[in-house]
Amino acid sequence: MKKSIAALALGLVSLAARADNVKIGLLAPITGSWASEGQEMKKNVELLVDEVNAKGGVAGKQVQLVIEDDGGERRGARVAAQRLATQGVVAVVGTYGSAVTEATQNIFDEAGIVQVANGSTAVRLTEKGLKNFLRTCPRDDEQGRVGAALLEKMGAKKIALLHDSSAYSKGLADEINALLKAKKMNVVFFDALTPKEQDYSAILTRLKAAGPDVVFFTGYYPEAGLLLKQKKQMGWKVPFIGGDAINNPDLVKIAGKEAAEGFLFLSPPVPKDLDTPEAKAYVASYQKKYGEAPQSIYGVLAGDGFRVVAASIEATKSTSGEKIRAGLGALKDFPGFTGKIAFNAKGDRIGELYRVYKVDANGNFVLQK
Amino acid sequence: MDQLLEQLTNGLAVGSIYALIALGYTMVYGVLKLINFAHGDLFTYGAYLGLTLLTSLLAHDRMGLGLRLLLLAVMVMGLVAVIGVVVERAAYRPLRDSPRLSAVVSALGASIFLQNALMLLYGARYQVYPDVLPQNAVRLGDLSIPVVRIAVVAVSVVMMTVLYLFVQKTRIGTAIRAAAIDQGAARLMGIDVNKVVVLVFVIGPALGGAAGLLVGLYYGQIGFTMGWTYGMKAFTAAILGGIGNIPGAMVGGLLLGVIEALGAAYLSVAWKDALAFAVLILILIVRPSGLLGERVAEKV
Repeated sequence: MKKSIAALALGLVSLAARADNVKIGLLAPITGSWASEGQEMKKNVELLVDEVNAKGGVAGKQVQLVIEDDGGERRGARVAAQRLATQGVVAVVGTYGSAVTEATQNIFDEAGIVQVANGSTAVRLTEKGLKNFLRTCPRDDEQGRVGAALLEKMGAKKIALLHDSSAYSKGLADEINALLKAKKMNVVFFDALTPKEQDYSAILTRLKAAGPDVVFFTGYYPEAGLLLKQKKQMGWKVPFIGGDAINNPDLVKIAGKEAAEGFLFLSPPVPKDLDTPEAKAYVASYQKKYGEAPQSIYGVLAGDGFRVVAASIEATKSTSGEKIRAGLGALKDFPGFTGKIAFNAKGDRIGELYRVYKVDANGNFVLQK
Repeated sequence: MDQLLEQLTNGLAVGSIYALIALGYTMVYGVLKLINFAHGDLFTYGAYLGLTLLTSLLAHDRMGLGLRLLLLAVMVMGLVAVIGVVVERAAYRPLRDSPRLSAVVSALGASIFLQNALMLLYGARYQVYPDVLPQNAVRLGDLSIPVVRIAVVAVSVVMMTVLYLFVQKTRIGTAIRAAAIDQGAARLMGIDVNKVVVLVFVIGPALGGAAGLLVGLYYGQIGFTMGWTYGMKAFTAAILGGIGNIPGAMVGGLLLGVIEALGAAYLSVAWKDALAFAVLILILIVRPSGLLGERVAEKV
């Protein structure tokens, strides 16, 4: 008898503890080919949960983080999403790849759980009219806008656009082309190269004959490096610009420092360049806990995803999915680590996240103010 | 006009690399009637071995740069030739008397093995050669040609000429030509056909390895799958010129490079490969044995 009373009391205590907890899920590629991204997402969010709990939690309740691994693939993500949904999480942060996120969207939406993705940039994810889906990362079409604006700011009169026929690269080039046409700017060249070749001199000669002031290449870093190197060998001095697929230090290795100097590319800021006071303090505390600064911007964007969810719970004093979603929609100028955060009706982040980077004489990527 | 001249030099540079690789396909086909699909990968091995040896050679600064590059070329060609002979012994000789299809499948298998072994040894990332060659260009009027490009064409032409003279003028060359015409008759004349085959698997891979080294030194960036693209183009060049025919491989390689460059210049950059292969189809319809396939009686 005594025993059962004790058990009952214990049950009540744990029940009480549970009632005071808010469960928030993290869906991340902890294993698989994007494991480095997923593990960094985990580190960011765990650190922030500890900080929030040390300050008394959200709306007076402690946050309990539930982590599920999607393995960077759709099937794993579906199982992981269902597990999260049955464990009673009120909101989910993640995940990274667009196709993987897409596999989980309906599961969370039907369960009335708010999902805040951190690395899925495909345009269609927020075009489906799903009420409970938001993201802290930009969309692929935003890069086109920033690219077109940069070309306009540079005062380019004749613009060449070069892509590599892949979905991402052709899409970005089409986007920029349409924006430039709408502004009546002169696109003198629009064509594709064949990726994985080594000799791009024929393309460069053709480009040169078109006489552009600036060339925008929307492909990946291996081809960009070769283009820069061969452009220099030809003695051609026209500036080149690239998209975020070029943000890789190997670019400078392939092109050589001299040929890479002055190259401009668009990219979300790397963590070391986050410039708000909150972000600097955060990078310092991350460094203190893990012994290294955060490497990936997508990990930090997962952290921002957790923070907006926590802010929404705090503001609405509620843990229902509907209220959290409404709270997120009402956020204005939330001081995120990656800049001010607010969402539009589709669930996309408002504001520009892409920055312009320039390669300096030592081959470093320098943020352009 | 300027663009035309510049595109011609672009095409000749790429074409001379295609031609060097095409020689390996054409010589093996001439003697064994086998398409050595592993040849593109031997080319890649040349590029990777070149990088490894170059790194250590650069540490010895007592020799002049020219001497070091010559030594590098000899070492790379020798090593790739050894790999070529091993491939022949392991993958082709046991199947010499089997149906043709078995040998072709074995060649594909050898190619897959070599490519993946390279990936496991060096990793899947792109490797980059250090810049050792001068980066300046020669100016001819409005035309500016990088010095390295002239060197690439010159080195290829010299190697092809030496090979042509070797096959045409020496006793061993005569033996190779005899084995290509009729192996049985060649045996009756006292020619050791197995030795000829080994020799072919020394010369072809050595030239392929040299092409890989040239590509590494010239373009700087190498990847473990690059043999596939180059191999396909070189194979096309060999067929274009008439497979089994040594001057045909040279002409086919240079022609393919020039067609590609002109296609990029006057049609569309994205369509240059399509154009090159359309020309191949046309030539094969008009002359099924390739450009030089019939004019030369002996097939080597």
